[in-house]
Amino acid sequence: MKPSTTPRRPRGAAPKASKERSRVAPPRQESPKRRGANSQQARLSSRLRAWGRHHRAMSWDSFYRLVRHPVGNLLTMLAIAIALVLPAALWLTLDSARLLDAELDESATLTVYLQPAIDPGQAERIEQAVSAEQAVLDTRMISAEQGMAEFQRSLGLDDALAGLDDNPLPASIVVRPQDVETAAMQQLASTLEALAGVDEVRVDLAWVERLRHLAALGRRVALALGVLFGLGVLLVVGNTIRLAVESRRREIEVVMLIGATHAFVRRPFLYSGAWYGLGGGLLALGLLGLGNHWLSLPVAALAASYGASFSLPQLDMTGATILLSCSTLLGWLGAWLAVTRHLTSIRPR
Amino acid sequence: MIAFEHVGKRYGGRFEALAHLDFRVERGEMVFLTGHSGAGKSSLLRLIMRLEKPSRGRVMVAGHDIAQLHASQVPFYRRQIGVVFQDHQLLFDRSVFHNVSLPLEIQGIEPRETARRVRAALDKVGLLHREKALPVELSGGEQQRVGIARAVVNKPSLLLADEPTGNLDPQLSADIMALFEDFNHIGTTVMIASHDLALIARLRHRILRLREGRLVADERAV
Repeated sequence: MKPSTTPRRPRGAAPKASKERSRVAPPRQESPKRRGANSQQARLSSRLRAWGRHHRAMSWDSFYRLVRHPVGNLLTMLAIAIALVLPAALWLTLDSARLLDAELDESATLTVYLQPAIDPGQAERIEQAVSAEQAVLDTRMISAEQGMAEFQRSLGLDDALAGLDDNPLPASIVVRPQDVETAAMQQLASTLEALAGVDEVRVDLAWVERLRHLAALGRRVALALGVLFGLGVLLVVGNTIRLAVESRRREIEVVMLIGATHAFVRRPFLYSGAWYGLGGGLLALGLLGLGNHWLSLPVAALAASYGASFSLPQLDMTGATILLSCSTLLGWLGAWLAVTRHLTSIRPR
Repeated sequence: MIAFEHVGKRYGGRFEALAHLDFRVERGEMVFLTGHSGAGKSSLLRLIMRLEKPSRGRVMVAGHDIAQLHASQVPFYRRQIGVVFQDHQLLFDRSVFHNVSLPLEIQGIEPRETARRVRAALDKVGLLHREKALPVELSGGEQQRVGIARAVVNKPSLLLADEPTGNLDPQLSADIMALFEDFNHIGTTVMIASHDLALIARLRHRILRLREGRLVADERAV
């Protein structure tokens, strides 16, 4: 016998060499001779198989332990699910807000009003000059007549305006800028204002800005909540696993006495944590679906009253996968923290 | 096999559990460790199992100073020592078979080989027919034999036992000791802590006598 200098050397090989002697006899030949790359490779693969076997065994073992006490464990998972639902719902809301944001970018435009005296030929030249600007994505000319027509339509005042002899509206060019940032748009506006024949450039940004700030705020709130509730999940799992470790303390002491590594002791608890996380994630998915169902009718009615069709955002496959992996990972991590912290306090007597 | 070199062990800075221990145990020897309770027998075994490190001196096992082992190597070191505890340290929610298979499970031995070796060990201690029983269904002597089967299932070259006959009647104690002698005959180094002086005197093996943490006598077998 010889204390190992490296933990990688498998011990199982030594007794095998002496298999033929008395079955419980210790090996007389103390250190197994290495027989080259082949046997080392065989040992490595048998170690890997053993490792895989233990993982399989422990994942089932921890699953059975979970199923054996369904009520208590379901409560733990429910706590995890509730902690997950709020950030997930917020995330969904933000996801639809992001769609809104894209529409906002679409509608972030500048309107270049031409001087009233400009004739259509000049207007076209000015439009070309505007298009030539680098910061401009595209332009759309609205002639004085078109402007009038749109105005009438939007106000529903066909008759009142028909009485006017003269069209008081100037021709205008709607410009979609490359960059929708405030500073860039302001700069583009002043550039365009300097062009000959341009009367005024209007940038109506205030409400776009406000919405954008609101979205940024919402994103931060969601992130903060996500982190907080993630910590909550860690604590819930950590506490549950701590109790599990405590209840199996004797068993842990015994296996450590006969040479179990920390990884071996930790493994079943890590699986328990991952199961808790996965179960909590599945419950959270169920709760989200339920909430969606519960809210969908009033939301549809509300949207219809505005003449719009809007439905609550659903969690798609990707979203569900992300939620489940996050919750499983959180459960695993919570278990790891709890076991690792606790193992140092457990010393074989 | 085992060499203690000027070993001392203090607990909490003052209480001196062991002092000036100097002895060697050769490979294949069978040694009794005796003395009153509190004389340091258990502390000595704990040092060999590397549950504790000596405060002074060196404990050499198979030529290695085991205090030098890194924490991550300790489990692999312990797998090479079979230990029989006075209170058996059996797991009461597992069958006899699964208690004995524990050391092999830890090492990742494949199931068929594990079953073969577990049955061989149970056969050796005469409990093959009880493999499915739970430890609570066994008598004290049977429980101790399960503990012994678990200690030897791994074919260790060093077998330690702390008061293995502590709670047993004389006849059972003699049976257990005979079992240890069997393992010694096939080459295992055996070290048994016991205060059953009458019993170990009959067995004619080397006896190390401890008193207040010091080695007061080293009686060779005659």
